[in-house]
Amino acid sequence: MSIRDEFHKSSTRLKWRVIDALIDLKERLPFDSTSVSDRFGYVLISSGILLVSFLAVGMALLLEYSFLTYDSIEIVVYEYTLNNWLRLVETTAFHTVFVRTLLYSAVVTIGSVGLGIPYAYLVVRTERPLFRYFLLFGLFVPFFTGVIIRAYGWLIILGKTGLVNWLLKTVGIGTVGIIGTPIAIVLGLLQYLLPFTVLMLTPAIASIDPDLERAAKNCGANQLETFRHVVLPLARPGITAATIVAFTLSMANYSIPDLLGGTNSFVANFIYNKIFGTLNYPFAAVLCLVLVVVASVFVFGVFKLYGTGTLGVEVDDE
Amino acid sequence: MSGLLRRIGGDHPYLTAFALFEFVFLVLPSVIILIASFGSDQIISFPPTDLSLKWYASLLEEQDYIQPFLHSVIAATFCTAISIPIGVMTALGLNRYDIRFEHGIQIYLLLPFTVPLVVSGFILLLLFGRLGWIGDLWAVGLALTIINIPFMIWSVASSVNAFDPTLEHAAQSLGAEEIQTFRYVTLPALMPGIISGSLLMFILALNEFVVSLIITTTATETLPVAIYGAIRGNISPQIAAVASIYVVIAIVAIVVADRLVGLERFLHS
Repeated sequence: MSIRDEFHKSSTRLKWRVIDALIDLKERLPFDSTSVSDRFGYVLISSGILLVSFLAVGMALLLEYSFLTYDSIEIVVYEYTLNNWLRLVETTAFHTVFVRTLLYSAVVTIGSVGLGIPYAYLVVRTERPLFRYFLLFGLFVPFFTGVIIRAYGWLIILGKTGLVNWLLKTVGIGTVGIIGTPIAIVLGLLQYLLPFTVLMLTPAIASIDPDLERAAKNCGANQLETFRHVVLPLARPGITAATIVAFTLSMANYSIPDLLGGTNSFVANFIYNKIFGTLNYPFAAVLCLVLVVVASVFVFGVFKLYGTGTLGVEVDDE
Repeated sequence: MSGLLRRIGGDHPYLTAFALFEFVFLVLPSVIILIASFGSDQIISFPPTDLSLKWYASLLEEQDYIQPFLHSVIAATFCTAISIPIGVMTALGLNRYDIRFEHGIQIYLLLPFTVPLVVSGFILLLLFGRLGWIGDLWAVGLALTIINIPFMIWSVASSVNAFDPTLEHAAQSLGAEEIQTFRYVTLPALMPGIISGSLLMFILALNEFVVSLIITTTATETLPVAIYGAIRGNISPQIAAVASIYVVIAIVAIVVADRLVGLERFLHS
């Protein structure tokens, strides 16, 4: 018998011994196997609940911090005050940043959902496996490369000695400074969001029966009309989900405005500066809560108007 | 031209042209990093005037990025390792058992997605600070698990949904113990979900930036944070060489994901 067979045999023996031991252990546990089933379900989900509780408890902690007094030396003093919330009303710099963030988020949300629909449609409908693989590859490369690396890539593309300026120089137009302008932020955010919107759109488009499109064509609709009157309405759950994801992700983005936007900072940058610049934790807590509330109001508003979209399909399928 | 597009994409030549344009838009930042990393100039310029591997060599000499790279790998491994049992248990619990307030619990489990990352980072800074965990690498891994766990739960849940429970009953009626049933019937059936979830958790943890920026110290600095610091300092092509590692990891991950479970699986989870 070869060494490999010997090893295989002894490892099989060990495996069975481990399983026998586990069975033995299980039978000694004080569980009544008839009444245990549903209660065991709660035991199973407790690990996930516990993990997420870090954030739930933290939200409560944020609320408490938002009423504490800021002290430049001790950072936080346990005296309750409304000053941090009043400061929100007075801080015009934050209002500017907030409005800017909302505006850019709206633009890139519309843009990334609009760009995502044709891409997702082709991913689902193309009959060529190689082309689908190609499209998926384009989707997962940025998704798996992380936001810092991508922002850095944009710096090389848009920078003074970068790709765009090289192309412009080659065709005889002078150089342009794009870094620090709204164009750089919008490009960066669009590229950041596109994989997410496509991933949210594909399940919805995949669930559209291709026969419906064929039927529309038989009735004389051209491709554009079919798209407008059949695909778009039926893809609405996906569009809803993609809109929510794109909007909330761009609202809270830190790296792209920071690296590509120059002085055009977003809410996340403002919060970060409050945390590490002045260590004003109470005011940072106020700003965090405002961001959470605005994002939640948006999400629930969209849910109320249009249903939970494909997000809901994945959450509940009883 | 239209004929060529038809040959590539089939029925929709204009859509295909548009999608190809989007493809370039999506992969360009990553590709440009790969190209720039082979340049030999002191500052990044495009196109590179000379090709060389000197920036890769300098990574090994200066060691500035090796420690952060190890931190990232350790934190991502920790994150993946603890998210597997948590994801499997939660997905099984939710799908197999009659849980009260199931819908509410599902929404609760989405909390990591609905809380903006910068807020999650601040929350974890406050909590981990009180618990004395700031400065521990495993705590960074735990933080990455907290913010990404819905990916794992979704991924496993889609496998649980696709799995026929009568197979378990069959195994048990053939005399298999519950533990044996789980090990030889349930677990193999959940493997596609576990594999795609683990891959996602690992890659996302390796890439995570904002939360890491807030909760890491110099002792636990992860690679994206180190790269960020370097970008803000100066744009040396050395950063392109480090960043290329991420691009290569992404490409390898895609190929591995395609081989193991198929890329399309990721569309459904």
